[in-house]
Amino acid sequence: MIFKGRMISSGKAEGTVLKLDEPLSFLGGVDGATGEVRVGNGGNVAGKILVFPKGKGSTVGSFVMYDLMVHGKQPAAVINESAETIVATGAVISSIPMIDSIPSINIFEDGDRVTVDADAGTVEVHDVQYREVVSSAVVMDGRVLILKRPETNRSFPGKWSLVAGKIEEGEKPIEAAKREIKEETQIDVAGSDAVLRPIYVREGNVLFKVYPFLFRVAYADPIINEENEGFEWIEPEELLNRDTVTDTCTVVKQMLG
Amino acid sequence: MDLTREEESILNGEQGEGRQKAMELVTALGKIYGAEDLIDITSAHLSGASYKTIGDGGLKYLEDMVAGGAKVSVPSTLNPVGMDRTRWKEMHITEHFAEKQLRIIELYGSMGIKTTCSCTPYIGPNVPTLGDHVAWAESSALSFVNSFIGARTNREGGPGALAAAILGKTANYGLHLDENRKPTVVIDADIDGSIFSYSLLGQAVGMAIGSGVPYFRGISPEVEEAKTLSAAMAASGSVALYHAEGVTPEAGNYDVSGLEVIHIGEDELKAAYDKLNTVDDIQLIALGCPHLTEKEMHQIASFLKGKKKVNKDIEIWFCTSAEVRDKCPEDVKIMEEFGPVLADTCMVVAPIEGTFERTGTNSAKAGNYLPTLCSQKAMCRDITKLMELVM
Repeated sequence: MIFKGRMISSGKAEGTVLKLDEPLSFLGGVDGATGEVRVGNGGNVAGKILVFPKGKGSTVGSFVMYDLMVHGKQPAAVINESAETIVATGAVISSIPMIDSIPSINIFEDGDRVTVDADAGTVEVHDVQYREVVSSAVVMDGRVLILKRPETNRSFPGKWSLVAGKIEEGEKPIEAAKREIKEETQIDVAGSDAVLRPIYVREGNVLFKVYPFLFRVAYADPIINEENEGFEWIEPEELLNRDTVTDTCTVVKQMLG
Repeated sequence: MDLTREEESILNGEQGEGRQKAMELVTALGKIYGAEDLIDITSAHLSGASYKTIGDGGLKYLEDMVAGGAKVSVPSTLNPVGMDRTRWKEMHITEHFAEKQLRIIELYGSMGIKTTCSCTPYIGPNVPTLGDHVAWAESSALSFVNSFIGARTNREGGPGALAAAILGKTANYGLHLDENRKPTVVIDADIDGSIFSYSLLGQAVGMAIGSGVPYFRGISPEVEEAKTLSAAMAASGSVALYHAEGVTPEAGNYDVSGLEVIHIGEDELKAAYDKLNTVDDIQLIALGCPHLTEKEMHQIASFLKGKKKVNKDIEIWFCTSAEVRDKCPEDVKIMEEFGPVLADTCMVVAPIEGTFERTGTNSAKAGNYLPTLCSQKAMCRDITKLMELVM
C-alpha cells in the first residue's frame, strides 16, 4: 500500500518502523551518540524509519540529529504528520530523507517494513492488507447506538462498536453507511449530520481506512441481524467504560464534541 | 515553490554542495510555511554560537560547513557565545570548554561572519532599515528589528539563518508579508516607564497572548526599553513583532478598532513578577540580557559611583558587547569594582550551572531561561534592588 506525502528532505530509504506516539524533542529525547530514545517506550533510532507526529522543544534538536549522523546512528528516514523547523532542519543538514503530510501516523505500527521515497513524496507499507470501511454513530436523544460483536467475529471479536462495515466495490462511503445501518439494525436514516475526515486504524496486519458518519434519528427501535449479539443506547461518556473497537471514542468525541 | 533558474541551479548542485545544502534547507522551510518564492535579504544574524547549547553535533556541523567552503554573501553577525573570549577564567570556564568555544568562533569567522558575539547587533555593526528583508535568529534581536526598526524577518533558527546568509535569500512567508504584520490584539499598558517595568510588561503580555502581534497604547519606549520589551515577550511567549502607538514606524498604518483589548496594569505585573521570582537569596547577579547599551552602562556606573560592594558572597557580572565595552572605559572602571564587565557572552548561554545555583537578574528573558537552560533558581528585580543585596 503506497501513501502520498510531501518531500521535506530528499533521498530514499527502506527499513522497519520505530514509532513514537508523542511529539518528539531530539534534545533530551534522543542520545546523539548512541541513538537511544529516552522517552516513551524507548528503542533506538539508528537505521530505523522513525515515525512520530511532529517535532517540538529546543532548536538545538537539529544538531542532535547531526550528531546522530556523525556517529552513524541516524534514522534511515523520518516520517512526520506535520513537519516543523527543528526536525526539518536536522533532517536536511544531516541528509536524512524525510516526508510529512501523510494521512496519519496510525497507518504504521512498530516493526512494519516500509520504503520511503522522499523525492517522490511517497511511503510504501509492505505486508499489510488494506480495507475501506464505514463507521456510523446513530444518535437518538443524545444517546449513541452501540453493537456488540460476537466472540467469533473476524475483526475486533467481543468488542462494542458503532454501526460499521466494509465498503463494497464501486460503493460510495455514504451509501455503504446507510446500507450497513439498514442491514444491521433495520433503521432507515436520511442524510448524514456530520462527516469527518477518514481515520486510520490498525489491527495486526490489517489497515482500516474508516469513514466516520453521524446520523441523528427522532425515534428508532433497532432489530439486529446475526452480525451482532446485542445493542444498547448509551451516553457518549459511558463509552469510556466499554471495551470498544479502536478509536470509537475518538470518532464519537469529534462528532459530538 | 516558484524558483528562478538561478535558484534551481543552486538546488541542483551546480554551484557546489555547500550552497546546494543551504538551498535545500531554505526551500524545505519555505515549503513547510507555505512560501511561494524566495526573497533577497540584506543581512543575517545567527544564533547557535555557544558550545553549551550546540554541543559536539553543532561543532561538527560547522566544521563540515567550513570544509565544504561555505561563505556568507550578506553582512552577518553572531550571537553571544559561552564565555568572554579573553576573560573566561574569571567565569569559572574549563579549558576543554574554552578550546571548543574558541574553535566555534573561529569557524563562524572563516565563513565571513562578523564575530562580535552580541545579541544587540542592531545598535552596533548590523543595523537594518525600514522595509529591509533580513534573516535573523535570536528572538529578542529579531523582534527589535521587526518592531522598532520595521525591518522584516521571521523567527529563524540557527542553521536556517546561516543557510539564508550563504544564499543571500530566505523563504518569503510570515512576517515578510504585509498581511501578517497587522496587529492582532491591543494592549493598554499602565506601567511606571522604568526599564524593569518593561521587563514585567513583556512577561505579562507573553503570558497573556502567547503569540500574535500586539499593538501597545500608553508606552513610549526608547532603544533600551524596546530591547527589554522585545526580549521579554519573545521569551515568555513567542512574539516576534509588536507595534507601539506613536512610536514604532508601522504603528500608524493600522486601524485597530474592533480588536480585542487587554489591559496590563498592577495586578498583571504582580503576577508576572511572581512567576519570575523563585528564590530570595542568590549567588550571582547577572545584568545585560540583552547586552547592556552605552546608556545603560553609564546609568549603572553613575549609580555605583562612590559605593562599595561589601557582600563578598555574591558575584556580579555585567554583560555587553566588546564594542560597547571599548566605548565607555570610565564606566567600566567603576563597574569593575563590583564585578567583571564581560563581552561576547551572557548568563544564559554561559555554562553557569557548573558554578551557581541561584541567580538574580533584571531581565524577564533571563528570568525565563535561567531555570530551564541553566538549572538556576531565579530572582528578577530592578537593578537598584539587586545592588542593595551587595552594598
